[in-house]
Amino acid sequence: MSVLRAPGVRVNMIQGVFVLRKIKSLFVVAAVFLFSLAAFAEGRRFAVGFDANFPPYGYVKDGKYCGFDLDLAREVARRNNWKIELKAINWDAKDSELNSGMIDCIWNGFTINGREHAYTWSDPYVVNEQVVMVRKNSSVKKLSDLRQLNVAVQTDTPVQKALSDGGERSKLGKTFKKLIVAPDYNNAVMMLESGSVDAVAMDIGVAKEKMKNGGFRILDEIIMTENYGIGFRKGDTALRDAVQNTLLEMAADGTAAQISAKYFDGENKMALGKISGNRKNSEVVDSENKVRLFSVVSELFSGLGVSVLIFVLTLLFALPLGLLVAWGRMCGNRFVSTIFRCFISVMRGTPLMLQLLVWFFGPYYIFGIQLSKLSLWGVDYRFIAVIIGFSFNYAAYFAEIYRGGIESVAQGQYEAACVLGYSRMQTFFRIILPQVVKRILPPMTNEIITLVKDTSLAFSLSVLEMFTIAKQIASATASMMPFVVAGVFYYVFNFLVAAAMSAIEKKLNYYR
Amino acid sequence: MKVLQIDDLSKSFRGHEVLKNMSLAVEKGEVIAVIGPSGSGKTTLLRCAAMLENADGGSINIGGIPVLANGVYAAKNVLKQARGKCGMVFQGFNLFPHMSVLKNIIDAPVHVAGVPPKDAVAEAMRLLEKMELADHAEAYPCELSGGQQQRVAIARALALHPEILFFDEPTSALDPELTQGVLQVIRALAEENMTMIIVTHEMDFAEMVADRIIFMADGVVVEDGPAAQIIHNPANERTKAFIAGLKAVC
Repeated sequence: MSVLRAPGVRVNMIQGVFVLRKIKSLFVVAAVFLFSLAAFAEGRRFAVGFDANFPPYGYVKDGKYCGFDLDLAREVARRNNWKIELKAINWDAKDSELNSGMIDCIWNGFTINGREHAYTWSDPYVVNEQVVMVRKNSSVKKLSDLRQLNVAVQTDTPVQKALSDGGERSKLGKTFKKLIVAPDYNNAVMMLESGSVDAVAMDIGVAKEKMKNGGFRILDEIIMTENYGIGFRKGDTALRDAVQNTLLEMAADGTAAQISAKYFDGENKMALGKISGNRKNSEVVDSENKVRLFSVVSELFSGLGVSVLIFVLTLLFALPLGLLVAWGRMCGNRFVSTIFRCFISVMRGTPLMLQLLVWFFGPYYIFGIQLSKLSLWGVDYRFIAVIIGFSFNYAAYFAEIYRGGIESVAQGQYEAACVLGYSRMQTFFRIILPQVVKRILPPMTNEIITLVKDTSLAFSLSVLEMFTIAKQIASATASMMPFVVAGVFYYVFNFLVAAAMSAIEKKLNYYR
Repeated sequence: MKVLQIDDLSKSFRGHEVLKNMSLAVEKGEVIAVIGPSGSGKTTLLRCAAMLENADGGSINIGGIPVLANGVYAAKNVLKQARGKCGMVFQGFNLFPHMSVLKNIIDAPVHVAGVPPKDAVAEAMRLLEKMELADHAEAYPCELSGGQQQRVAIARALALHPEILFFDEPTSALDPELTQGVLQVIRALAEENMTMIIVTHEMDFAEMVADRIIFMADGVVVEDGPAAQIIHNPANERTKAFIAGLKAVC
């Protein structure tokens, strides 16, 4: 008997119940089978978490995960008879992934420096350099030339930490005009290419990979060196030792060198056992890394300001713009209404994050305009692009809400206004719009609350709003607490928005 | 002097001819009741006269202003001028729900006709007094009965001092016990020599208030004459049948 039925085929009740029971028992059998498979399967599971945007250590090529670190991990698993699971993780959530047991280690160009106490580390196996990449035609020759220039780094990387206040290269960082934190390397390099920043501080491995596209140059002077290691759950020394011993074997028999040659143009990067003094005792509790609720709250509060600003400005522009779009959409002229229909369709049919990237990078990649020249009244173009992107996107949603509201007003209202001699403008603003406002409040409240949460998307253009800061603190301190605090902030924010909206609704309740 | 002159008016909706070259002249101070079976074009006639509907052909002259001449409408500013000369009361009242009774009445005089607010309020209160609704000036339409709402709608139309007032079945949406107040108001207006065209199904009322009754069927005027004559002694067979049918129902 087939469980899947063509629509329209009637199943009588008894038969239906029987099918349900059958499915249930099938599930039970399947579950038991799977569990026993897991229990008796030979070898353990070895889940490696990595950032899939980090060539040549870990990346996607032809739809497959590859890279120096991933090939090493595969070989380690093979030799130990483990079943390897490669998990491309959200870098911001790496600690939760690790601590919750979803992954067994973080292995992907993972810098030990600055994170010594957060993980149980393998010995360092690669010495990496943090370098500065500039555009080929740039006048920057050495680090001191970066004075008063915009420099991008990837979020939550050691070089970001080093260049920020309190970091080992904070002096250098202070000479920059601005240190811009990009969500990932690709984004940072796009900013460099489009002229939105003047330099990117990054891993040499990734930099060399990006150099292949041409158009860039790496400064001879490096920012710092750092050691890569494999990060295990704190206290998981058994797994650490097993992996490390296998790696040592691979270093000794030349397998590691072979893998390295494949990804580093013949160079042998494997330096396990040759680097000294960088693995600190992870059992020491570092008070620096402890999360303090007060400081988290105050840091998030500063980010909240940016979130609120995005929220307010978006509403300010999108509410009237939406009205205009609604008008265009309902316009009697077929040509005009088609244009606006398409606008709404595109705005609602593509992700806001993608739209933000287009607004920001579009002027350069489409028109060749250097983004650094696009600032208005001293406001960085990235913030302007965020506001434009949000306003247009939300205007499309608002327009459809307006349209629904406008169309729901009875024709008699227009006729009464017409006979009384109101002009079209007067009819709309004096008679129709006030009634529309009342009708559309509930769907508007929905949309506005969504906007509060959407402000976090500003991060894709490196605008530091609250959620981004929460992610940064969380990854720097390996704690979930900043997320909880951010969640509370968002909730309170939305609670106030909802309260304000229901107050307006109440105020408009004087008529039906 | 003719307040409204309609000649050879025609109007079709999607090929269906609703008005077929119909003509009508209304003298100042005249009250005309328009009766006829549904679909006969009564309401369309009114809507064309009130410029809510564009006619396909013919001529319309309102208070000496040529609105439509041989199927061609006049310029916008001329139409606007003509609009000020006519008022309309709808079957469904069409009051503005977000405005109080007083605001409903003064909004157009103040914002369309440019009457000083103080004067507009004084005039509105005078009209409300007449409608016996002065106590409800601050109420909202939703707080009033249908009959009260219709009286507010009449006051709203009167506030612009129209030369002619169109009523499109003013009591059809009302419960029977609420129609009397509205009909009384219309009768009072008739006594003040207000020029009115009333589309109605209330035969007794039509006889009482109208100088002339027009019986329409299939987009043409079938019979036009003094009220008593049309109701008690119609000449045309169709009028006879229609009146007899109504009497049978009552």
